Amino acid sequence: MSHEPMHKVIKLKRYEQPPEGYYEDFLREFHRRQRAELLNPSLSTLLLERLSGLFSELRVPAMAFAGAAAVAVIASIAIIRETPRQETPRVHSVSYTPTMPYSQVPVTIQNVQNMQPVSLRVEMPTSSKPQGGSMLFPPSYLLQARPANHESPLSF
Amino acid sequence: MTADLDTPLNNDKELVARTQGGDPGAFDELIVKYTPRLYGLVYHMTSNHEDTNDLLQDIFSKAYRSMANFRGNSSFYTWMHSIAVNMTINFLKKRNRRQHPSLNDPDSNIENDPDFIAATSKGDPTKEVSIHELQKKLNAAMQKLSHDHRIVVTMFDIQGVPHAEIAKILKISEGTVRSRLFYAHRQLQNSLHEFKKN
Repeated sequence: MSHEPMHKVIKLKRYEQPPEGYYEDFLREFHRRQRAELLNPSLSTLLLERLSGLFSELRVPAMAFAGAAAVAVIASIAIIRETPRQETPRVHSVSYTPTMPYSQVPVTIQNVQNMQPVSLRVEMPTSSKPQGGSMLFPPSYLLQARPANHESPLSF
Repeated sequence: MTADLDTPLNNDKELVARTQGGDPGAFDELIVKYTPRLYGLVYHMTSNHEDTNDLLQDIFSKAYRSMANFRGNSSFYTWMHSIAVNMTINFLKKRNRRQHPSLNDPDSNIENDPDFIAATSKGDPTKEVSIHELQKKLNAAMQKLSHDHRIVVTMFDIQGVPHAEIAKILKISEGTVRSRLFYAHRQLQNSLHEFKKN
């Protein structure tokens, strides 16, 4: 398949030329933009110039900066490795759904003599008071560490 | 078919050396020399005169800032064209679809070009196409091409850059240049089928 005819047609685009005098003006425009860039440098150019100026004023050999950076990196790695890992407290949440009324739960107590006295209190969440006989949330049980001298153990 | 900037390459070396030595006048000479060719390259890629002007200013500005890094591993011609191609393709990717053609008027000499006469009338006055109609159709067909295909058509068909030089500029093999040209021409033939049998 010869593409010569297509080549000849596309080649005609070379006749599309910019307005007369464009090339002469182009150089003037280039100089104008360069001057504008010098007068209003971009933020990145300013930052680069300031940094290079700062380093040249310090008169410190370039290797010193590299060395300092390397020391900083090694020190931070060492600190990270030396820091003991702290155990984060684990939180367990288990929901308990009673299968039968609490009063009917059989209680078998063995070795009663060795048991420490505790008090047991049943707290009903204020927002979930039973309405119409249905309980939305199960009651929570608090085992209190203080001795329950005036309470009979295991009495509800 | 050779690039018309091939011959004075030695002069480029001297101008580059003078620019690197701090002579801004030498870079001005390079701008004057390369502006028409690079203008064509960018214009035929963008089909927009204003975009081409802004982009060309940025291209020369970047080249000037990078002159210290130019080691002469390739010719200045190749290096300069590579910058122009990369910046133009990046620009086109950002511009994406929001393009408004701003076309230059074709030189009046086109009317005397035998290829133009053959393409537009084909000896049949009823099928005569005006210059502007042809220009619109050519540009529409060019814009349908992918960036990779459009760049090889621009350099080879319009600017007459040899395959080997295009390969160097685009950093691809000559075989890839020929293959891209083949597929681009085939696509152009579909878009411009009315001009194909001249």
